[in-house]
Amino acid sequence: MPQHTAHRIDRRAWLRAASATGMGALAPWAGLSLAGAATPGGPRLVLMILRGGMDGLSAVPALGDPAFADARGALGRFASPALPLDGLFALHPALPSLHTMYGQGELAVLHATGLPYRERSHFDAQQVLESGGDKPFALDTGWLGRALAGSTRKAMAFQPAVPLVLRGHTEVDTWAPSARPDPGADLVARLERLYIDDVPLASALARARELRDNGTMPAPTVAGGMAPGMVTGQANGQTNGQTNAAGSVAPLAAPRQAALNLARQAAAFLIRPDGPQAAVLDLGGWDSHANQVADPGPLVNNLRLLDASLAALREGLTAPAAGDTWRRTVVLVVTEFGRTVAINGTQGTDHGSGGAALVLGGAVRGGRIVTDWPGLAPAQRFEGRDLRITTDLRAVFKTVLIEHLGVSPAQVAQAALPGSEHLPRLDLLRS
Amino acid sequence: MSPLTQPDPAAAAAIAAHRFGLGEPDLALVGEDARAWLRAQIGPADPQRGTGLPGLAEALARQTAARPADARDAKDALRAQVQADMRARLVTAATSTRPFAERLALFWCNHFTVSLGKASTQGLVGAYEREAIRPHIAGRLVDLLTAAVTHPAMLRYLDNHLSAGPQSTLVQRLGRRSAMAAAAAAAAASSGAAGTDAGPASTAPRLTGLNENLAREVLELHTLGVAGGGGLYGPWGGYSQADVSALAAVLTGWRGPRPGGPADATAGTEPDFDPAWHQPGPKTVLGRRYDAGPLALRAVLADLARHPATHRHIATKLARHLLADQPPPALVARMAQRLTDTDGNLPALYQTLIDAPEAWASAPAKLKTPEEFVLSSARLLRVGEQLARRAPDAGLAALGQRPHYATSPAGWSDLASDWLGPEAVWQRVEWAAQAASRQGAQVDARALAQASLGVLLSNATRQQLERAADGPQALTLLLMAPEFQRR
Repeated sequence: MPQHTAHRIDRRAWLRAASATGMGALAPWAGLSLAGAATPGGPRLVLMILRGGMDGLSAVPALGDPAFADARGALGRFASPALPLDGLFALHPALPSLHTMYGQGELAVLHATGLPYRERSHFDAQQVLESGGDKPFALDTGWLGRALAGSTRKAMAFQPAVPLVLRGHTEVDTWAPSARPDPGADLVARLERLYIDDVPLASALARARELRDNGTMPAPTVAGGMAPGMVTGQANGQTNGQTNAAGSVAPLAAPRQAALNLARQAAAFLIRPDGPQAAVLDLGGWDSHANQVADPGPLVNNLRLLDASLAALREGLTAPAAGDTWRRTVVLVVTEFGRTVAINGTQGTDHGSGGAALVLGGAVRGGRIVTDWPGLAPAQRFEGRDLRITTDLRAVFKTVLIEHLGVSPAQVAQAALPGSEHLPRLDLLRS
Repeated sequence: MSPLTQPDPAAAAAIAAHRFGLGEPDLALVGEDARAWLRAQIGPADPQRGTGLPGLAEALARQTAARPADARDAKDALRAQVQADMRARLVTAATSTRPFAERLALFWCNHFTVSLGKASTQGLVGAYEREAIRPHIAGRLVDLLTAAVTHPAMLRYLDNHLSAGPQSTLVQRLGRRSAMAAAAAAAAASSGAAGTDAGPASTAPRLTGLNENLAREVLELHTLGVAGGGGLYGPWGGYSQADVSALAAVLTGWRGPRPGGPADATAGTEPDFDPAWHQPGPKTVLGRRYDAGPLALRAVLADLARHPATHRHIATKLARHLLADQPPPALVARMAQRLTDTDGNLPALYQTLIDAPEAWASAPAKLKTPEEFVLSSARLLRVGEQLARRAPDAGLAALGQRPHYATSPAGWSDLASDWLGPEAVWQRVEWAAQAASRQGAQVDARALAQASLGVLLSNATRQQLERAADGPQALTLLLMAPEFQRR
């Protein structure tokens, strides 16, 4: 694994100088004040958490692995050709923008990566992913929060509450559109299962669903538009009650638009000279136990949404008003675990171990697959079922914290990622 | 199971916490003896939490100050006070260590509803609940009834401050004055004077007599129950229109504090009673004769509080609130009998309920109202302190139950069918998703479900929680699970 280089400090100094002189970025909300002291420019880290366990072998299929076709069955056959990366790997056809970024050297793909946790629970795995601990609930603050603690660097979460990963740092803003979150089709389906033995609740829910699908419910109050509900700390600008007694909500199709808007919004904050140095975004719904190849279907839709969100983010960070923001940006796309290598009985996959992660941005040394590939044959798998983890995700975090955000190795070892001293730094960033 | 047998302790703690209380995050709080935990809570409700919560006099002053159209600051102050009252109600219930007492206070506030939905009650409901209901929930029924009916907020809510005896000195005087004005107008008209606006319409007295609103609701809602109601639970009602009119006459003069300050405190006077509005002469209510004066109302209310139909009505409503939309008739009969035997001793009524084996059936039968759902969610997540920080109603208006704004004097419904509309359920899902998006990442919903619901947690729900895609989704599912939506 690569060695870190001493001249990174110089690079950051140059970036600060450049941004102090050359950036007259248009602030979309000039009146908004952000937490933390203004340090114009500087590196930008965007952490996007894919909750539910993204199937890494669907997003980044190892087409060249001899065991791939047999193990994946129908999941290995795509409606249109997968987008080739190298002889072994490809990208899912629903990820064209990412493929372009890969070709431009802006995307590095990690594979067979994961956390020091093997029990396959969403809750516990997400707790480890965000806390940076080596087991669930060993730490109750987040690795990114602890990395920024004690500094005046700003962080921002694009959701109503401060996520665990940012807890531990005081300079955290949250931003979310002022509509209530849409419950989403996945949640409704789960509620329907929950109400199997409760007929009154089940029929009320079914009726509500029907009314919504028919579009006969009241129109959403904030359809498409994003009322900035920006506040500092834990709070979210949404208030209900008197002004919204009708209680209208967005239709089920809205999550896509909401996610894209959120990515654009994040970009708009990140390009500000006094914008956050770390931003956290969530994209949920990756728990694809069934119908993974259906198009439209939950997984394919989500991959398209991921692709479109990252494209929107890049567009925002490369716009004329953004100056050199994209060159100062690293985007980390991670999930709590991968899924089983083999297809299950419902054309999906169950909770697994190793998976894929994406590192993109103008500061990334991309166009590469970063992996110590363990192979997909049954004997090569973890416990005979999962892609084996050969790269600890914390090594990625460590690399980005030290080499991109300039957090001191001591702070990383002692506070942000305790127990990570033995993890190597990875060759991910342009020097 | 006889009333003396103990319910299964594991189930009992969960039932005590959720059905009798307002939900707990951890059943260990209830302890070994669930009935003892409940018994120890019987007593007046605790003072509400909040600072600067006004009493009636202060609230009335704010209301008066806010009346002029251009009194912007005063209107803001009144609005702020209404919000503070709302917050106090919610935060107190969401943080109380005596949730059974809080539930009873909420029940009685609803039974004796005063709503902010009328101009005359603006800003008064918080003071009403603090002064008329909360101190009296564990005394005698007659004291609670009297405090509620004679509180100026109730008097105004049900128009009694506008009700005058047809033969009262006030109406007589107004009648003479308007007769003189009419005569003067007639004289002016016959002498050919033009341009007068003293037409017949403006000379008619504004007040000529009774307003029966409060009298009818006292009989129909607060005491005997609507005539023909009761059904399975024994007859309610038993009053006639003549009884309503007679009670309205008894009520005349009860108007609340007079603008010039309280009346002289001589013997036989009441600060909220204005003799000039009172209908003179004796009245007969339910066959009993009451002499004129303020004492008559207290005597009528005492007799109503002693009436078996009142006991059946209240026993039915309390059992319906606590146990089931159609509570077991035998239990309702025992509760009513207990009220009769103890001359309306409310702790004895609650004790009968706690002792009743029917109350400990393990299947949760009651759907929570929106307010109960929100309160129990806040308690589950231990965020009661912050509950109404963003919005004073904690989102309850969108759920169809804005606190202090009941849509009728009958209060909010205690029947599931009234809360199970598709939009209402959808709003609950959204409220739950919102709460979960704020709290879910920090909470292990699986452990919380087990600690809070214990044996009430079904395997099916447990499985769905295990399978949830992330923390917020799991918490949403827990909040929306049948065993949390019901109690």
